[in-house]
Amino acid sequence: MGATGAGTSVVRGRRAAGAVLALVVIAGLLTSCGSGDSRTTITFFQFKPEAQQYFRQLAADFMRQHPKIRVVVDNPADPETALRTRLVKENPPDVMTLNANGTFGEFATAKIFKDFSKDPLLDQVIPAYATVLRNLGRGGSSEVNGVPFAANASGLLYNEQLFTKYHVAVPRTFDELIRAAETFKAAGVTPFYAMLKDAWTAQSPLAPLSSQLQPANFFVKRFKKQTTFASGWQTTAQELDELYKFTQSDPLSKGYADGTAAFANGKSAMLLLGSYAIPQIRLSKPKFTVGSMALPATNDPSHTTLVSGVDVVLTASRNGPHPKESEELIRFLMQRSVVAAYSKAQVAIPCLKGLRNNDPALSGVQPYIDSGRIVGFTDHQFIPAIPLAPLLQSLILSGDVNQFLHGLDDDWNRVAKRRTWGIGATV
Amino acid sequence: MTVINSPGTPSPADATATPVRRTRRRTTRIPMTFYVMTVPALVLFFVFHTVPVIQGIYYSFTNSPGYGPSHLVGLRNYIGLFSDPRVLHAYWFTFLIAGVSTVAVNIISLAIAIGLNSRIKFKNTLRAVYFIPNVLAILVVGYIFNYLFSNSLPALGDQLGISFLTTSLLTKASTAWIGIVILAVWQSMAFNIIIYIAGLQTVPIELYEAAGLDGATAWQQFRSITFPMIAGFFTINMVLSLKSFLQIFDHIVALTGGGPGTDTESVSLLIYKGGFQGGEYGYQSANSVFFFIVIVTFSIIQLRVLQRREMSA
Repeated sequence: MGATGAGTSVVRGRRAAGAVLALVVIAGLLTSCGSGDSRTTITFFQFKPEAQQYFRQLAADFMRQHPKIRVVVDNPADPETALRTRLVKENPPDVMTLNANGTFGEFATAKIFKDFSKDPLLDQVIPAYATVLRNLGRGGSSEVNGVPFAANASGLLYNEQLFTKYHVAVPRTFDELIRAAETFKAAGVTPFYAMLKDAWTAQSPLAPLSSQLQPANFFVKRFKKQTTFASGWQTTAQELDELYKFTQSDPLSKGYADGTAAFANGKSAMLLLGSYAIPQIRLSKPKFTVGSMALPATNDPSHTTLVSGVDVVLTASRNGPHPKESEELIRFLMQRSVVAAYSKAQVAIPCLKGLRNNDPALSGVQPYIDSGRIVGFTDHQFIPAIPLAPLLQSLILSGDVNQFLHGLDDDWNRVAKRRTWGIGATV
Repeated sequence: MTVINSPGTPSPADATATPVRRTRRRTTRIPMTFYVMTVPALVLFFVFHTVPVIQGIYYSFTNSPGYGPSHLVGLRNYIGLFSDPRVLHAYWFTFLIAGVSTVAVNIISLAIAIGLNSRIKFKNTLRAVYFIPNVLAILVVGYIFNYLFSNSLPALGDQLGISFLTTSLLTKASTAWIGIVILAVWQSMAFNIIIYIAGLQTVPIELYEAAGLDGATAWQQFRSITFPMIAGFFTINMVLSLKSFLQIFDHIVALTGGGPGTDTESVSLLIYKGGFQGGEYGYQSANSVFFFIVIVTFSIIQLRVLQRREMSA
């Protein structure tokens, strides 16, 4: 290569640099066009994959009514991890829908969410659900860090057709439940379809069993180290293990999708899941009515309570840059018509006073909701660092109740020791 | 080096024409080229690799959940690690997987490489076929293997009446690791085969001719000629595969998600689960710093031992 060669390559290099510069300038112009938009932009973080389309449509309707506000809907695949990464970047979304679980409680305790306790919106909400939120965790002793939007009921789903066929009445006590399971087993029908490939599914029956069987104020005492799982959860673990003896032969190789499909196809009489699974079951078009009941843990029907948690809570970031616009959006979403329509579409329990979902799949649990015999999910008291689901999986496989309870106590204590700041509900 | 020197390498005619200009240009221009080539890479490496590592080391001494305020807690996270059975089990499991997979992958891929290096039909097609696993995403293949292990294999076991196979391999702690090893070996073999083929092509053919004249058997030829001649490639493969298997993550996510229980959690998976999902960012940062030290130590020891063996061979 001679001097001229080098010369042309320099020219070529300059041209390339020029092209890059032009691109950068154009890109800059484009983004400035974007920010030239006079509307205020707020992010709406939406966790529920089943309701993606629904909330997108709502956001579009909202923008039509509020031409000054632009709503960017964010539907991440793994919402809790995605929210955590946004918090790491100190960029919490303006408005969020979240599942009110242990992670919600943790974030609320870390003062991530706005306080709604003085917001008139909460006056329209069924008080039991505001209490469920408060018990998960809060930024201050009198705070409520979200507005309950829709609730679910966790008990038992059953195939009404199979129950009629084998003359099984809806069980009202634990013994009746076991007898029903034995009847189905003898008839060659799987009583409960296990979906342990998705380990969390074992938490579904755990919540009703433990909330009916544990001593009063168990978690408050557990947080204060005044009791142990080994003493308070003995019967819970035994009954859970007993229920899982009535599953198909390969409980661990099937997951949530397999289980809901198998149930919809009439392959199992009952499913140890809550109302949140009904839309998924109906995707497989069952030819029978899906029934629901509260899972009885004792032999005293008056002792049975329904586990009902806030499936979708609306909340806003505590120190967001656009509090007015965020409030507008939350108010829009909490309209009676919106909550009612959502509940109907997702087979959820509306959290507003006076609203009711008349879906037949909820009729079995409706009396509990009407009379307020509701308790929150006990498994939401576990911060995610405690491997509850894997431990449950091992319990069901091995049947070793003591190993499970001691494992749970050990893990709980270790995590509590590692944390110097607030943990769980009682801060 | 040759690439950088080549524009300045004077052809005889050139050299006599402009000797002075050439030397001056060489001393001023070539160092610039060096900088242009290395500095951006160095800056990128420093900003996106070294800085996060240092940040991670800092977080390992805090109780940070990953967001919000945090406090320095000294060595408490590190002390906690050694008394946490979940962490200790993850280390044990990772070494089990890494050890078995490293040995298996090297034996199988060396055998296949020898086959692919001999005079066989469709040699190039076969080489391409054996390379395919390397370009497939582990997660995607992992879900396919998951289906095979949890549906196809049990169905086959039912048909053939083999009771061992009728339930999925992945559902028992005692067998789930086998499924993970199978996927890991299948996927990483491709890369090792390529390196071994490259190694085998450096062995002079005359050695085999001479050995053939002396009446050496195929096994003797392999032991005394092939293997010593490709010892360097063997070292590379051993070190690289051990290092990558120690960081095993995708395979487990796709196959078992760490279950049953927490029995198939590798260290990387535990760091992800505990640190990002469990909100124990500081604690798992300590775990990753410790794991980093373990991997570096292992790689150095392995390199030393294998290189010594290479020299004596």
